[in-house]
Amino acid sequence: MSSGTEANTPPVAQDSAAGRSSTEVREEAKSVEFTYRGIYQKTLAANLCKHVVMAARKRDWLGSTIQRYGDSPERNGVPAKQFAVIAPDEMRLQEHMAKYEPNELDVITVLDDTLCDGVESWAFYGRQPINLRLRRGGTLLVISNRSAEELLKVIPRKPWDWTLAILPGTPSLGGLWVYRDDGTDMRVLGAIARTRPDIFEFSAVESVVNEDEKLGEEHLAALRDGYEEVVIHEVAAGVGKEDDYEPVRLPGYKEMREGIIVEARKLGERNPDYKTSSDRTMRPVVNFDTCIKCRQCWLDCPDECFDITEEGFHPVNYDYCTGCGICAQVCPVEDCIVMVNDLEFIEEGNEDVFPMWKEDKEAYHRWREEKIANGRIEHHDYFNADTWAWSGGKQADRTS
Amino acid sequence: MTTEAPGRALKLEPIKSIKKAPKEEYFESGHRTCQGCLSSLPMRLMAKAAGPRTIVLGTTGCMYVANTTYMSTPWVVPWMHTQLGAAGSSAIGTAAGLKSLMRKGKMKDEPINVIAFCGDGGGADMGLSAISAALTDIEYNLLIFLYDNESYANTDIQTSGQTPWGAVTTFSPPGKKHRIMQRRWKKNVPGMLAAGHPDTRYIASGTPAVPVDMMDKVRAALSAGGPTYMHVLDPCPKGWHYDPEHSTELGKLAIETGIYPLYEIKDGVLNFTGKTKQLALGRRRKPVREYLEKQGRFAHFKNQDYAYFQKKVDEMWEQWIIPCVVAFSYGGPINITTEEPKVRNNNVKRENASWIGEPGHAHEEHEGVSDMPNEPWRDDNELDEYPNALPSMGQ
Repeated sequence: MSSGTEANTPPVAQDSAAGRSSTEVREEAKSVEFTYRGIYQKTLAANLCKHVVMAARKRDWLGSTIQRYGDSPERNGVPAKQFAVIAPDEMRLQEHMAKYEPNELDVITVLDDTLCDGVESWAFYGRQPINLRLRRGGTLLVISNRSAEELLKVIPRKPWDWTLAILPGTPSLGGLWVYRDDGTDMRVLGAIARTRPDIFEFSAVESVVNEDEKLGEEHLAALRDGYEEVVIHEVAAGVGKEDDYEPVRLPGYKEMREGIIVEARKLGERNPDYKTSSDRTMRPVVNFDTCIKCRQCWLDCPDECFDITEEGFHPVNYDYCTGCGICAQVCPVEDCIVMVNDLEFIEEGNEDVFPMWKEDKEAYHRWREEKIANGRIEHHDYFNADTWAWSGGKQADRTS
Repeated sequence: MTTEAPGRALKLEPIKSIKKAPKEEYFESGHRTCQGCLSSLPMRLMAKAAGPRTIVLGTTGCMYVANTTYMSTPWVVPWMHTQLGAAGSSAIGTAAGLKSLMRKGKMKDEPINVIAFCGDGGGADMGLSAISAALTDIEYNLLIFLYDNESYANTDIQTSGQTPWGAVTTFSPPGKKHRIMQRRWKKNVPGMLAAGHPDTRYIASGTPAVPVDMMDKVRAALSAGGPTYMHVLDPCPKGWHYDPEHSTELGKLAIETGIYPLYEIKDGVLNFTGKTKQLALGRRRKPVREYLEKQGRFAHFKNQDYAYFQKKVDEMWEQWIIPCVVAFSYGGPINITTEEPKVRNNNVKRENASWIGEPGHAHEEHEGVSDMPNEPWRDDNELDEYPNALPSMGQ
């Protein structure tokens, strides 16, 4: 009897969930998430959150922002999130703010497209799909120069229809105190106004920008540019990568040992509970033919990614590579290690490519050349002396 | 006297070249550190050099918070978190505990390395008194390992006693009226500890940008016997603000410009190592500007700031009594001999050291001399009389 009642309950629950569908009921609180590269885009995300709240106030809604505690202190490149929550009245806003993070999101904005294949910012989440908490009918906005087909190879499917909006552009990366004022924030706001006028109308955010003395004509132009440039794709239920997310099983208090004792790693075993590959925007590709087996990359890697094979070569373990680029810098052989944009490796994933080289050196060579031709990156594009924030967005005049 | 005392130091040979570095990792992949973090690299190199018979104690800081994310750990060797200023006291406690358990026969009698690491905030600021206390306690073998990223990096870059002059931190943002907000010169911690703790047998400075040198120093420190100290400069991409791929390059530049010296003080004899040795022999130092202008934290510098920084570094090299190590010159005539350097620390138990027989460390000279007169408190016969006695209980 009891099992029968249990079997009957899910459809009822589903119906009620459908009844609460957010896009139909305009008066519910709305949440916007900004997923970004830790530290590099911290100020950008904070700036965006601020403007979402300011634009909401233009239509007498209230708003507030959350930076999830788990991501602070942030680390360079580690995926992080900030949220803006807006609501029609104080009560509903507080109801949403009382949570650690919003459970359902109306808009998820991805400020760097290499985050699309999942984010692992904190060990107890595991590698979360980028659209995990996207609401029925929600919008995923990505800054990318790639097509929707390419992005949907890494973005997991949903059991309902959702919208993928692509704002053409390259990710804007700054530093801890450095905000790169290149109009990315304005373009993203314009794109949100176009795709989701129920969050804020274009006129609302336009008047916010107009009233801000620090923002000028170029910011308004960027806002309009984002509004016009964004490309909207309706994604049907079931389209996208197979969702293989397994939440990390958290131990109960009975399983935990006295004190806070955690088992040490076995010799030669990497930490299986926290993989760092989602920090990566680019990855090293090794030319094993020109490798002189000097071991410099192996010893200088701060993430212990390089293995040593019997022959003395150093294949990379891509599950843990954070893509810092130190190996490419210390390698004494020209072009032996080349950094390539991580989204060029949608098919390969984090698989080890050393067996491929061993099997067929010619094929590996062709594969490597192709990847380098498509996605070679010389440097992280943020060390830009023209954009230091503390001298009014301009480099200090060193001569005076 | 050649019996090996309980809690004796492990004898570790120098590594000398990259190819001879042990392949085993005792600090593994899977830690939540920044891209290009050169504070996690010394953890790995230190564990690699120390080997499997090691206990690591970590004070609060980046390398505690980022490395032990919620029920997961990259450590292969035993590791324990300890309080922010407690590197010295926890190291002493662990070394004493091990020694006591071995003495009482409750644990296999074997050499075990005790390493306590701390950041520059936890070590050079808060934990300095405990480190100082540990370095005077010559009874116990331990290594205090200070990784210096020149700020409180774990809490988003606040000024520490190790932050260089003029650097931007959350506490010292340059403004329109005052360009330079960090007006303190960096504290010379290894020099201070060496000068003030004459019984400490090994004090060294290193950087993970020169990994083999750093690993050899860790091994020498662990082999020395007694408390030892090591200072490691780690470029920090987040706080120093540079592209993470330049981490190693910046560490090397710090040495080539003479801002950070590499040296080791072994039984009272100081030797510069690596590039610093070449600088001490007269090789031209690179201008500090080459190092400073590659970092965003010095982006507000004007020409006069570079000039001031250069002047201070020149002073370190030209006016200090020992360049970069002892921070004063002498005013009157003092007796500086030109003889061979004198090896000190005869009163520390010598059989624990690995460098017995090396030039300048002739053990034979002291063979006939018992250690006992210099160490009246150490009575190993006590063991026979009271097999279960704790030495500290005064029995």
